[in-house]
Amino acid sequence: MYRYDEFDAQLVRERAEQFRGQVARRLSGDLTEDEFKPLRLMNGLYLQLHSYMLRIAIPYGTLSARQVRKLAHIARVYDRGYGHFTTRQNLQLHWAQLPKVPDMLVELAEVEMHCMQTSGNCVRNITADHFAGAAADEIEDPRILSEIVRQWSTLHPEFSFLPRKFKIAVSGSAADRAAILVHDIGIQIVRNTHGEIGYRVTVGGGLGRSPFIGHEVGSFVAKTDILAFLEAVMRVYNESGRRDNIHKARIKILVHQIGPEEMRRRVEREFAEIRKSGTLELPEAEIARIAAYFAPPRFEELADESVELEAATRKNAGFADWLKTNVHAHKMPGYAIATVSLKRIGDTPGDCSSDQMDALADLMEEFGQAEIRVTHEQNLVLPHLRKRDLFALWQKLVPLGLASSNHGLVTDIICCPGLDYCDLANARSINIAQNIAQRFADLERQHNLGELKIKISGCINACGHHHVGHIGILGVDRKGVENYQILLGGSGAEDASLGEILGPGFDSEGIVDAVENVVGTYERLRQSGERFLDTYRRVGPTPFKDRLYAR
Amino acid sequence: MMPHVLTANRLSVGEVVYWSGSKGWVSRLNEAEILPDDKAEAALKGAAEWVEKREVVAPYLFEVRILGGTAVPVKTREAIRAAGPSVRRDLGKQAD
Repeated sequence: MYRYDEFDAQLVRERAEQFRGQVARRLSGDLTEDEFKPLRLMNGLYLQLHSYMLRIAIPYGTLSARQVRKLAHIARVYDRGYGHFTTRQNLQLHWAQLPKVPDMLVELAEVEMHCMQTSGNCVRNITADHFAGAAADEIEDPRILSEIVRQWSTLHPEFSFLPRKFKIAVSGSAADRAAILVHDIGIQIVRNTHGEIGYRVTVGGGLGRSPFIGHEVGSFVAKTDILAFLEAVMRVYNESGRRDNIHKARIKILVHQIGPEEMRRRVEREFAEIRKSGTLELPEAEIARIAAYFAPPRFEELADESVELEAATRKNAGFADWLKTNVHAHKMPGYAIATVSLKRIGDTPGDCSSDQMDALADLMEEFGQAEIRVTHEQNLVLPHLRKRDLFALWQKLVPLGLASSNHGLVTDIICCPGLDYCDLANARSINIAQNIAQRFADLERQHNLGELKIKISGCINACGHHHVGHIGILGVDRKGVENYQILLGGSGAEDASLGEILGPGFDSEGIVDAVENVVGTYERLRQSGERFLDTYRRVGPTPFKDRLYAR
Repeated sequence: MMPHVLTANRLSVGEVVYWSGSKGWVSRLNEAEILPDDKAEAALKGAAEWVEKREVVAPYLFEVRILGGTAVPVKTREAIRAAGPSVRRDLGKQAD
């Protein structure tokens, strides 16, 4: 993992003390709310429905056991004993109190964490594939570039007052587990025909009010050129992005308005200018220095097959179920990756208690190289596990309520906090997720349905990624009543697509029946081996629509 | 027109509060002053003084219905603010 150098450490410490001064001035009246609000937002502090909410950055979703324990402690001492992992790989604490926030930031700084880049019109927390450094299909660990981009973008003076927020995601594999095509900039690590590693850069993806899939602006950017290329994109955006209308200010609108060809032309022109100066050329030595932080842990030489694992799988059906969905291929023989589901039936998707965090930190140290990842699908991932330890790990996850065998299945629902917490929401979303999960609780049925991604947002801002759900649900306020639209056919993966609204919305009970109905249509129409999404793409919306709205 | 209640959050702890008139800002919706249409805007203007004094932030009015003498928020948002998360009955004012 990356370790802060003296500059990083000083920066986050000073930032906490700076905010202490700002809070004191607000409480003494030296700052008005209008003056203070942008300052608190620059430190991830929002005022929400019930209280202040502190959004903690988790760069590229990577946490050490020490950091997890600290988060557990902060949530317990300063908040209500739990946190909410978000689709941005961040952690939100929903019950913060203003006078205590500086102390929370000091505690975070002690473990090399902060709340910068979690709000405001800047480059936001860099997200990445949660299987980074472990995936069997990986070309290169995406966290190396993510960390370089984090350092380049943090408090970057030129990009601190962008037209709007800016999100960058990095994937190290052809399989896209980081939803890069629906980010302002998506970076995919690729290998060219000469075997060299470089970056494919897409621009202008995004969700929210106007969803778009990103367009390729660079098919193969050399490693040493990547910051120059990113800076070129940012400059084009900073110069031409709209500032007159908040709803049209994201780079996706600019790309849509001028077209991807013109965007490519402008970026190329700017890129050529920046390259001339040479100042943004990334030195090989610096890349190597950062890469060293992400050197793989010391793996044992193991046989890929594990006798212990096979024996446990035969004996324990519950464990076998978990293996089927929650355990993934690792690049090293004898190792595996495991998804720790935060989607137990009836729980709030993404919520994790302080007690669970502490217990996970112990398990990370016992089994998982003291490392864990936060996924944009609101689960956690133990990236480096010996296959022979999987059964022992699973046995310890079960009593913690963290062993749900539902990764990628119908109950593994992405869900924003919605109207239960969020100031922007128009409708509740958590209760909808819980009710759908209850409806499909039968594990055999879930496994039978296969991969099926439901994503729910409580407003058009789409924190719950509803546009890219195989089944998406959008909560709206219809004349004071919560109403839920259903979208089908979205994907946030390498085959990205935007879901289409099927028809009129439903009330909070009707939406659960509606999901059951469209799943039923899939069961009737699917051909062998087809996922829900495949069937939808083959037959189109009509059969789903006809059956759902049949009188 | 429906009657209103004046609400805000406490500046320091962020707690949801309501304007009660005689008792100032209170934690419980059932202690809030029910403001008929002609008094609501004046009450909101009056809140500026409390913002100035750093007692509360972000004051605004919301609509209520009177059922059995009690103010019931028209919008779900205000019902949730008054109680706490509907999915966590152990949190918020409903748990006190």
